[in-house]
Amino acid sequence: MSPIAIEADTPPQSRTFMRRFAGAPLPWIMPVIIVIGIFYLYPVIDVFRLSFTNATLIGENQQYTFGSISNALSSPQLPDILWATLIFVGGSVIGQQILGLAVAVTVIRGEKRGLFGTTILRTTALVAWVVPGIAGGIIWQMLFSEAPYGALNSILRLMHMPTVAWLSDPAMAPWSTLISNIWRGTAFSMVVMYAALKSIDPSLYEAAEVDGATASQQFFFVTLPQLRAAILVNMILITIQTVNTFDAIITLTGGGPGRATEVISLYVFNIVFRNYDLSGGSVLSVLMLIISLGLAFIYASFLPKEEEQ
Amino acid sequence: MSGRTGSRLGDAMSYLFMLVMFVFFAGPLTYLLSMALRDKREVYRGAARYIPDNPTIQNFITVLNNSYFPIYLWNGLKLAALSGFGVLIVALPAAYAFSRFQFRGKGLSMMGLLLFQMISPLVIMVPLYRYMNRLGLLDTHFAVVMVYVALGVPLATWLLKSTVDGIPRSLDEAAMIDGCNRFSVFWRIILPLSAPGIASVFIITVIAGWSQFLVPFLLLTKNDLMPIGVGIFNFRGMQTDSSIQLLAAACLISVVPAIVAFLSLQRLILGAMTSGAVKG
Repeated sequence: MSPIAIEADTPPQSRTFMRRFAGAPLPWIMPVIIVIGIFYLYPVIDVFRLSFTNATLIGENQQYTFGSISNALSSPQLPDILWATLIFVGGSVIGQQILGLAVAVTVIRGEKRGLFGTTILRTTALVAWVVPGIAGGIIWQMLFSEAPYGALNSILRLMHMPTVAWLSDPAMAPWSTLISNIWRGTAFSMVVMYAALKSIDPSLYEAAEVDGATASQQFFFVTLPQLRAAILVNMILITIQTVNTFDAIITLTGGGPGRATEVISLYVFNIVFRNYDLSGGSVLSVLMLIISLGLAFIYASFLPKEEEQ
Repeated sequence: MSGRTGSRLGDAMSYLFMLVMFVFFAGPLTYLLSMALRDKREVYRGAARYIPDNPTIQNFITVLNNSYFPIYLWNGLKLAALSGFGVLIVALPAAYAFSRFQFRGKGLSMMGLLLFQMISPLVIMVPLYRYMNRLGLLDTHFAVVMVYVALGVPLATWLLKSTVDGIPRSLDEAAMIDGCNRFSVFWRIILPLSAPGIASVFIITVIAGWSQFLVPFLLLTKNDLMPIGVGIFNFRGMQTDSSIQLLAAACLISVVPAIVAFLSLQRLILGAMTSGAVKG
């Protein structure tokens, strides 16, 4: 039904009603409110409620108790899980941020000087970003595999170097998952950094040049301070993305060897959908939520206060 | 060191870095292709047969013939495309309102939307699973699409708002003076002029839907309803080391549509993302 038809066919009274209706913001925002309410707000409230119960995924009988909270938080596995999460998230955030910035700086420099291959590099990085998580895990398993077809080890063998137990050594596996996650996620940081670099006022560099600043001085005293807000916002976004990632790890290591790469999101997934422990999973979901929000607020507190225009 | 040799050195270092990065980003995908084109014997040659002696497309034929793959592909496409439309229907009016209306709590609700973006799908899937179970919506594509839509709406609203912000208000005002009401301004001015932003949000949502694993994995149990993401996960579980070339072919089949969709609209997508990122 086209709005023009409404205008033409309806009697004047309802036309003023339509006009008043359409002139208020609420009807326009209503669909978003409904969708967010049903699919975000209600479930989140329910997760909080469930963490105070002993609910399971299969049984319907549940009682309110603090037992699940103390059980979940005192679980002997939890410190290992949190440690694995810290390595995975911390490493991904640092790695993706630094690499994303480096690629963006290089691409911009390359564009300015007309170097060959800048567009190819940018596009390839972005292609890795579009690869579904599950597929990313499968791809990296073929690279890290210790079977004959494993790419990295067969290269090492060709060069007569000792092979590495990429995925079966508990000390190595976390680094392997980290590398695969940096591969998938760097493009996002690159896009954000690229946009931020483009928006820096070129006259700042001209002034720095006049003052005789070297390239590295320009980077540390002009570029980095100008990027501060973009870097922090980017850190918030990639932290949250990484805390929530588990599909790539499921296919790459399944959380193993042992629990070496079992990050909290994978742990929650296993607890709820393999052990059917709904309340325990809810407690840990809330913990995940608190971790992401906490980190987001810490980063956000370093953001420069917004200037009113 | 003179300026000229300095920038020569800089160029050389740029090239070196670009080469390393290119190998890092493209290497894994080319190795996947290499594996997918090998026969059984060449798989065991590892990186020594990076370019296979006897490239074959037999693996792709096997995968597409002997399994549910065509169904997975179709389901994946259907779910992703429907969620793209759903996201637009929900987010476009809101983006218009956030851009053009002044009202109390606007900034707060925009921030609130971003907060929801931070919530892991894992957190909301626990209650949603029970909820859908009670409503009898498990094993329906409807439920899956609705959850995809919800997951995509916060970011889409932000991106579309910045698109609408880019349309001069004077156009709205001129149309209103000519007797248009808000609906017709939205329909006749805002929608056509936001076409590039709409296209990029659509494609971003479709690619996100194509990559989804968790939501369909939990809400669907029947094999003929599964989209590609879950399909390939299950397919992987059935393979052994000796059929790794089949897994590679299957994986490539699941990756290529997303890459093609992205590459064909790359400029649009990056435009929407960067304008959203810079303006906040």
